[in-house]
Amino acid sequence: MVLTPDFDSRPVISFQHVWKTYPTGTQALRDVNLVVPEGDFLFLVGPSGAGKSTLVRLLIREEKPTKGKIFVDGVELGRMKRRQLPHYRRKVGLVFQDFKLLPNLTVYENVAFALRVLGESDRLIRTRVAEAIDTVSLSGKEQTYPSHLSGGEQQRVAIARSLVHAPRFIIADEPTGNLDPATAWEIMQLFLRINARGATVVMATHNREIVDLLRRRVVAIDGGQIARDDRSGRYHDDVVTKSQVRAQ
Amino acid sequence: MMLLRNLKFALNSAWQSFWRNLAVSLAAVVSITLILILAGINLLVGHAFSQVLDGFRVKVSEISINVSDDTPLSTIYDFQQQLAADPRVTSVTFITKDEALANFKQDPNNYVLAQQIDGNPLDAKLDVRVANLNDVAAIDSLARQWPGVDPTDPTNYQGDFVNRMLSLSQWLGYAGVGLLAVLVVVSIVIVMNTIRTAVYHRRKEIEVMKLVGATEWFVRGPFVIEGVMTGLIAASIALALLVVAYEPAVDRFRSDIAFLPLSYDPSFISSLARDLLLGGALLGALGSYIGVRRYVRV
Repeated sequence: MVLTPDFDSRPVISFQHVWKTYPTGTQALRDVNLVVPEGDFLFLVGPSGAGKSTLVRLLIREEKPTKGKIFVDGVELGRMKRRQLPHYRRKVGLVFQDFKLLPNLTVYENVAFALRVLGESDRLIRTRVAEAIDTVSLSGKEQTYPSHLSGGEQQRVAIARSLVHAPRFIIADEPTGNLDPATAWEIMQLFLRINARGATVVMATHNREIVDLLRRRVVAIDGGQIARDDRSGRYHDDVVTKSQVRAQ
Repeated sequence: MMLLRNLKFALNSAWQSFWRNLAVSLAAVVSITLILILAGINLLVGHAFSQVLDGFRVKVSEISINVSDDTPLSTIYDFQQQLAADPRVTSVTFITKDEALANFKQDPNNYVLAQQIDGNPLDAKLDVRVANLNDVAAIDSLARQWPGVDPTDPTNYQGDFVNRMLSLSQWLGYAGVGLLAVLVVVSIVIVMNTIRTAVYHRRKEIEVMKLVGATEWFVRGPFVIEGVMTGLIAASIALALLVVAYEPAVDRFRSDIAFLPLSYDPSFISSLARDLLLGGALLGALGSYIGVRRYVRV
């Protein structure tokens, strides 16, 4: 059964009967169907090894599906040519658990990097980077190197980098995984603000408190399948609601 | 405009990364320098040999046809005309018996012998210069069929010697090319591995570049430029060492192997410089290109 949630806006992301089997024989995803409309804020939850990371890797096209189709913004990822990949990645903002900052570049240079690869002019880079750094409240730390920042600050830099090129959607893989609860909460506020401005956010997370508090859409993955898709869900399936949709 | 900006970015990061990873950069410079010195020596030796061979070539492409004493002058003249009209022949000079004797007496080596000569035992001769060394044998057989030739000593042609020279020069050419090919392969492997080590240290950086949407060439550009820089520095060092050592080495070998007319040729240095700089830049670029490949591909 193909899920078509009754959201009004057009889908930014859609998975159609997606299977992923790794060369080792591990079946990471089995017949996954998922539609993410524009402006959505979606939590991907589930135990380790359930398939969350595979789903994220498919979304950023580090992997191709074994079977089925993934459309992002109308483009089928499995059919995308290798040289188109950089252009696809530029439409996406990526945030990772380990920040993935360049240690030999300053905060400013790290954020500017996402625009440098686009070949933008220095003047445009200056204004956009200043805005992005302001958004994540790191003004004044532009010339600091990542090693001199706390974990929360480093993640802010990574978020600034992920949104400096004004992407249509942001994919975050365990963005709060390395942070203490208070800092994690601040980072979440940041994501909510970005979402409120119109960007679609897909976030894989293990952070139960945050998921339960925010009551956003929750897609639970278990054993490579979508076990639950709640429009305003919790981390665990302990309260059965009417809006709960079962995939399978 | 965008291309210019990308180039500026690539040049900047190449320069920074060369100095930031100085140990690895120096290792690459040293290995390329050594390879280019070997290649340079190969080129210099090849050049010296080709100079020597050219000298020999000029000598053996001249053939003297000895004319028997009773041949009428008109017959000699006809044959001279026939040879001069032959497209394989560059020039024909007739040397009379008297001129031959005068030439013989002029050579200081023949001083003692010339004192004892009575009358003129020498033949008149036709000195023929042949354009292509391969045609000397044909001209020789033509001369031997000519009725005016001295049957006891027809020409001074030494077929074996010419053929050996020809095949020697050919084999030396092959050996030089073969040696260069081996050097090129070895050096690409060394440079590639050196640069791959440098790239391995920066794989995280490359991963991030790819994740924010850098194209393969954007990632590769700085590495390739760094490779070219490394190659050029190595080529300059190799060139400086070779230029300094060239003249003393020639002098040394000239006194050791006197029979080979080795010579110092300063005009060859500019072509050597061009070859080494070009070779160094290409080596560095190619080594980087291949070295980065594995990490650039997703």
